[in-house]
Amino acid sequence: MDKNEIREARRMYLKSKEGRRNIMNCIFAVIIAVFFLFPIYWLIQMSFKTDMESFGKIVTYYPHEFTVDPWLQNLRDADFLTSLKNSVLIAVCAMVISLGFGVPAAYGMGRYKVRGTKTFMLTFLVTQMLPASVMLTPMYLTFSKLGLLGTYWAPAIAVASGSVPFIVVTLRPYFKSIPVSLDEAARIDGCNVFRSFFRIMIPTIKTGIITVVVISFLNGWNDLIYSMTFNVKADMRPLTANIHKFQSKYGTKWNCIMAYGAILTIPVILAFVFLQKYIVGGLTAGAVKE
Amino acid sequence: MKLSMAARKSKEAYIFILPGFIYLLIVCGYPLLYNIDLSFKNLNVKNFASGESVFVGLENYKTLLADQTFRLVFKNTLEFTFACLLIQFTVGFLFAMFFSKKFTLAGPIRGLVLVGYMMPMSVTALLGKNLFLLDGGVINDLLMKLHLVSAPVDWLVNGGTALSAVIAVNCWVGIPFNMLLLTSGLTGISEDVYESASIDGATSFQRFLYITLPLMKSAMLSVLMLGFIYTFKAFDLMFIMTAGGPFNSTDVLGTYAYSRAFTQYEFSQGSTIAMILFVCLFCVGLFYLKLLGKEDD
Amino acid sequence: MKKRIQKLTALLLFGSLTVSLLTGCGGGNSGSSGGDGSSSSEESSESSGGAGEVTLWHYFEHEAPDLEAIVEKYNEEQDKIHITATYVSREELMNQYTIGAVSGELPDIGMVDSPDMASYVSLGVFEDITDDVGSWEDLDQFYPGPLLSCQDADGKYYGLPNNSNCLTLACNMDILKKAGFNEPPTTWDEFRKVCEKTTNASDGVYGFAMCAIGTEEGTFQLLPWICSAGGNIDTLDSPESIKGIQFLTDLVQDGLMSKEVINWQQSEAYNSFCAGKAAMLESGTWQLADIDEKINGTFEYQYALLPKDEEYSSTIGGENFGVCTGTEYRDECVDFLKYLMNAQNNADFTAAAAKLPVRKDAVSLNELFTTDERYAVFNEGMNYARARGPHAQWPTLSEAFYTAVQQSLLGEKSAEDAMKDAAATIDPIVAEDPLPEASIGGGVADDVN
Repeated sequence: MDKNEIREARRMYLKSKEGRRNIMNCIFAVIIAVFFLFPIYWLIQMSFKTDMESFGKIVTYYPHEFTVDPWLQNLRDADFLTSLKNSVLIAVCAMVISLGFGVPAAYGMGRYKVRGTKTFMLTFLVTQMLPASVMLTPMYLTFSKLGLLGTYWAPAIAVASGSVPFIVVTLRPYFKSIPVSLDEAARIDGCNVFRSFFRIMIPTIKTGIITVVVISFLNGWNDLIYSMTFNVKADMRPLTANIHKFQSKYGTKWNCIMAYGAILTIPVILAFVFLQKYIVGGLTAGAVKE
Repeated sequence: MKLSMAARKSKEAYIFILPGFIYLLIVCGYPLLYNIDLSFKNLNVKNFASGESVFVGLENYKTLLADQTFRLVFKNTLEFTFACLLIQFTVGFLFAMFFSKKFTLAGPIRGLVLVGYMMPMSVTALLGKNLFLLDGGVINDLLMKLHLVSAPVDWLVNGGTALSAVIAVNCWVGIPFNMLLLTSGLTGISEDVYESASIDGATSFQRFLYITLPLMKSAMLSVLMLGFIYTFKAFDLMFIMTAGGPFNSTDVLGTYAYSRAFTQYEFSQGSTIAMILFVCLFCVGLFYLKLLGKEDD
Repeated sequence: MKKRIQKLTALLLFGSLTVSLLTGCGGGNSGSSGGDGSSSSEESSESSGGAGEVTLWHYFEHEAPDLEAIVEKYNEEQDKIHITATYVSREELMNQYTIGAVSGELPDIGMVDSPDMASYVSLGVFEDITDDVGSWEDLDQFYPGPLLSCQDADGKYYGLPNNSNCLTLACNMDILKKAGFNEPPTTWDEFRKVCEKTTNASDGVYGFAMCAIGTEEGTFQLLPWICSAGGNIDTLDSPESIKGIQFLTDLVQDGLMSKEVINWQQSEAYNSFCAGKAAMLESGTWQLADIDEKINGTFEYQYALLPKDEEYSSTIGGENFGVCTGTEYRDECVDFLKYLMNAQNNADFTAAAAKLPVRKDAVSLNELFTTDERYAVFNEGMNYARARGPHAQWPTLSEAFYTAVQQSLLGEKSAEDAMKDAAATIDPIVAEDPLPEASIGGGVADDVN
């Protein structure tokens, strides 16, 4: 098709009912995005303001005096790379632990008629029912006895204890919905239980797996209270701990905090963007393909 | 001696389930026992060192349940949880449905909306605090410029509005979360089912009511149950945004337990509050299991 | 079959690799990677032969390098212990002490805010060092106020005060002069007049900014106003205390002070003043560190004592250092404390940190305290400044107090009702454990002013 034909086809499409609906949806989506993302815009524009402007008398909607100083204050910090490394390690550890314990448990409860299902489910949920504030001291005692204080394991284990029940509750229905025929076909092919688990079950519910991977990683990445309490030393602290650098007796430096928030979110967004193909593909592929 | 098929199947199941189960028992079981124990004693800063804290039975519970501040905090927690769940779930569902439609910008914008959930709560709380400032907060500025109010609203200074502000911020975080979970559930429903229903003459509303909702039931149940637990025991947001103020109007069970234990050194009181929170969630958990059980059949 | 074994082996290898990598980087061993980037890492490997590893936790921020300098000097001058100073944010550090009281995992030396020390002493966090310190000849050089905060009800010592600060009034002289005032106010009446003339709602300028937040910071800033009228925290239902709170309430109700002060930390009130949004500020000594930078020449400012009703008043703040229980190097740590708080070090440190020294003899060792006229005001303020507590349940007293004041400021309750309710909570506690005699005067040698 030559250029004119393409242009003509496009015009026909836009005029068609389907095309118009597409445009309406897009406009609506953009409106939603504007409302929803305004706080993010605010955060970013504030991160480029000078100190004086960020607590000045008038509210400015964009930096009148543009500066990258708040970002530099965050990034030039000697420990930035160490904190970044710590954040990644804690998040990955937490993710691995949560998946390692959670996915098999969801599978076991979803595909088998186990006698203690209700009890197991209740226990999984019950472990979530205490607020973090009162878990700190006894967890600290446990980790102290196990010699895990001052390592990456302590916060990872604590954070994962929140993600595991989440994974179980979320993935169980997925596992349940896989038809038994798939199971039987696998057996006929000579797979034993574990092999079919890794090779067949998990890929089949890609949607759900991707969701729980993302969320269990984020739980570890965004954790503050456990990392701070179990690891006092500066070289073990994750990025989230830097918030204290900008919120102290000497002031809440909004511009630096916003830059810090952006820095914390950007790697996640980047990972998201790069993995978009897989995530979007996974999310829209559907749970089970016959 | 070969195990029967059923028994071997059961055994297999346990291999999958037990590691996670034991892990959680160790990590979370001890804290639970610890707090139950403390809630029956009267440990605080005065008798801590001397070790003279005694067993007081249900004394702490009785005192707390009769205490005015506790009742306010409890009420706040309920208000906060129900308001958030309602808004987050409804809007999250609507967004999930809307963004599942196939239009050009669906993918990217859905991805952007998720950013709210990806930010650490400490930053979101501070952002919220900044947005709702009395003088110099952008929300007041916008409201004034749009002539919707005549004077700046004292959002976080006034007990009445503070909780609403906190709920708004929490929903901003929770909506993407709900949307994410519900989307995976929605896309699990194949197009064919909808198509055959349309062919049979079902309207879109009927399709929604009789196909979408029933097929989403387990996803919805999970989202609601988890949402309830996380929202009920929320802590970070109100702790950083308002520190439970003004006058405990944004204090919820999680923050109140923290302030009793760590700021006032009333350790037993803190644990008692946590246990009351636990009991509430436990009841909801039992209810959820009942619903789950029905669905299994 | 072969494939399965291969897969399992791969998994195992990967697993063990990860584990070793993580525990290797995990730093379970305490002193190895040098707590906070100072050069102590090289030194630790050298002196690891004999010197014991000692941890010191603090929450100093811009003062941290000055503290570390002293720690370095001490490390060099002796080889019995090697101290590593680690910054822990204040909130987190307090939690660590509380958890540490239960778990026994405490640093060797710990820093704490003066009103908080009594509670931690009660929890058994700090070691009783009376036998070491009680007979120290330098002890009578210390000002009584700060020293009292390191003691318990029986007079035993659990640490040494490191620095002091107090509150005074900072005035934006440009605004004041424009409103016709050439000098800062000295009495409540004058103060009120200044507020009325300088508040400009359309410009967004309030007469006065202070911090009335629902934390210890609020109590810190609110106490002078009842004490100046003749009241105190253990007599909140007295007419004097009520008068003090009524005065502040009127300021808010009449629009001379922003309602938002109940959400402001001291830093936010400070920012407001520096941005020109308030004519006067209740200012603390540490703000001298960066006030010039923040104001950046946009206006002239002047310090004065907080205005008085019956008498001048202020509140003592500051940090103390103590030796934590369970340390292996008790005597060496006490030795360090004495070193840290010797006259010269105290003078140098507090001058660099924009704080006030805790020793009479330190004042003359650094000319800053005698030549800078702003310091002169703070020094004078110390003469009228009161300590908070010490009382093991001070947080409870504090909470009752600031809650009541906030209720009054916002008009939720009348000043009288609010104070009476607060007194109802406080009186039983102080009846059982009374507050020590109002220890007034944390400051300065007579020959300075």
